[in-house]
Amino acid sequence: MATTFKTLLNSDSTTTRTLLHEAIPITGTIVSGTYDESAAASSNIKNYSHGMFQSVYDYPYLSSSANQIFDLTVGYSNNSAHSNSANSQNAKKINIYNQMAQVLAGYDQDGNIREFDQDGNFAAGGTKLRECVFINFARLLTKDEIKKESFELKVMTGSTPATRTSAEVLTISDYGAINNYRVNSPAGEYGVLYTASAAVEGTGVGLIYYQAGIVVLTGSVYDGEFGANGAAYDTGSFDAVLTGSEISASADGFRNTLFNTQFNNTTELNSKIYFCRANHSDFNYSSNPTYLSSSKLVVKETSTDSPVSYVTTIGLYSADNELLAVAKLSEPIKKTPDTEVTFRVRLDY
Amino acid sequence: MAFLDNSGDIILDAVLTDTGRQRLARGDGSFKIVKFALGDDEIDYANYDKAHSSGSAYYDLEVLQTPILEAFTNNTSLMKSKLVSIPRTNLLYMPVLKLNTVYDDSYQQGTDDLFYVAVDVATETSQGGTGVINGENVPQGAKIRIDQGLDTTEISPSFPLDADLVETQYIIEMDNRLGHVCDTVNGRQARVSFIDDDNIASYFLSLGTDPGYVSEITETADEDNGKIAVSGPRGTTLKFTIRASIDLNSSTFLFTQLGSTTNGPTNPMSTVKFIDSTIRITGATTGYRIDVPVRFIKNN
Repeated sequence: MATTFKTLLNSDSTTTRTLLHEAIPITGTIVSGTYDESAAASSNIKNYSHGMFQSVYDYPYLSSSANQIFDLTVGYSNNSAHSNSANSQNAKKINIYNQMAQVLAGYDQDGNIREFDQDGNFAAGGTKLRECVFINFARLLTKDEIKKESFELKVMTGSTPATRTSAEVLTISDYGAINNYRVNSPAGEYGVLYTASAAVEGTGVGLIYYQAGIVVLTGSVYDGEFGANGAAYDTGSFDAVLTGSEISASADGFRNTLFNTQFNNTTELNSKIYFCRANHSDFNYSSNPTYLSSSKLVVKETSTDSPVSYVTTIGLYSADNELLAVAKLSEPIKKTPDTEVTFRVRLDY
Repeated sequence: MAFLDNSGDIILDAVLTDTGRQRLARGDGSFKIVKFALGDDEIDYANYDKAHSSGSAYYDLEVLQTPILEAFTNNTSLMKSKLVSIPRTNLLYMPVLKLNTVYDDSYQQGTDDLFYVAVDVATETSQGGTGVINGENVPQGAKIRIDQGLDTTEISPSFPLDADLVETQYIIEMDNRLGHVCDTVNGRQARVSFIDDDNIASYFLSLGTDPGYVSEITETADEDNGKIAVSGPRGTTLKFTIRASIDLNSSTFLFTQLGSTTNGPTNPMSTVKFIDSTIRITGATTGYRIDVPVRFIKNN
């Protein structure tokens, strides 16, 4: 009986999970300096009338080519020493902190929002991060999650912007996170950010939430003036800008002290692999119209010659013969009765 | 001593077709891959040079150099010619499907080697004639017949076609917006197996279960050659006609959208609106397929 289909048995398919990583480098110049921020048409920095956060794009944001790379905002806890109703946007900064805390840190047993903990050990009390910069990376960059121990943030701190040297670049990273991370957040896994390559308990300067793609950085990492040497920015200390200026001013300050940042993202690829086995007696003939000349096989001279066919395409079908997926070879594969071929066809989800 | 190539299996990334995506989105379990087929759409076997002066290693040199197109997602545009599994290796002849326009006058094509489908009674009256299918008064008018067998004069038609080469099931694919497949005896509409995302309806018609469509060719004598499309041993025949869709029968919308106007096929002094389409017939067993051009017409 001639046939054009071959049934896939249960043993002819399997599922696999692959993690793909991409390196995402973000230079400090792309977030401040490359584009003229004085006019909306040329600026890659978008501020909103609500003033709750600032968006950073990789290109002037009015262009359709622009991609959002991250959002910046700052906030402090209601328990912070800096919380004061006289502060600029005091309520909004508290609201931002609470919003981020309830999503990332969750609630205690009494239903109260937990403050960010320096080492993630809520039970032990310890130091809380009460004045924070939040960097919310776009899913375009983080994909399914940030790869652990791949995050690095370099910020310029100390002295004044005009006199800073590259020696004043502070490197912050999730050192050791590949084997030492926390799972007690409602937003998934997170690690502690350190300024020294050894992850010393109690010296954390922030938290990185891998699946959420959010970095929480304590304001205490900043020393000296916060911001750039320009009239367009507030140039006081971090505390002064945090309390005395709007959220957008703190975001400006963060951008202007950002030397660069980089991380690897992760894409989880679930695949089903179909083993399409063409045994020696399978698929040696073709229904291609050019295969026959007056019904005679053009590849044979006599009946004793071996038939031959060439595979270029693999079609995966439903029970009712509908073509559901297709895979192409890069070059024709010769199929004869003395060859057997197994095509591994991978369908990614 | 060189290393042996142990690359083994060939790994390919598959893309979902539009129908595959549609079924996946439906989430009703209709996306289930249960079988596979191999295709060779790009291959021109005329490039297989059995007489190459350098020997058999060079026979398929040009074939193997054929560049392969990327996969595209239209399910009806791929896998047009499939590879066939036949356990025997000594086959020298394989059956084909061939349009029979000589069996009798009712199977003749009209002008320009087309079948015309008059979509309403007025068009049937004004344009009726050779090659014109009555799309409303089915099954009157022309009919379509496909013969299967070996189209060679090397073997007498009196020899039976090998049982494993006899086509027992045909798949007819046509645009469901334009018409429907009907039998040639009662004009009853065939059951649609499924309609894909591009409105292509598929009909599966089998020997035995659909006697109004598929039957064995009984004319096996040499003198029957004038009535049968294939010259050698014969297998089965598929006969059908077409009922125009209600949309074409009662509206000119699709004619405006998909067609144009031209002179009438049998009454060239008049003009008709028309839509050109193709009906694809595939042998489910042998994989061979042919396209039959059809023009739907309506008085202008």
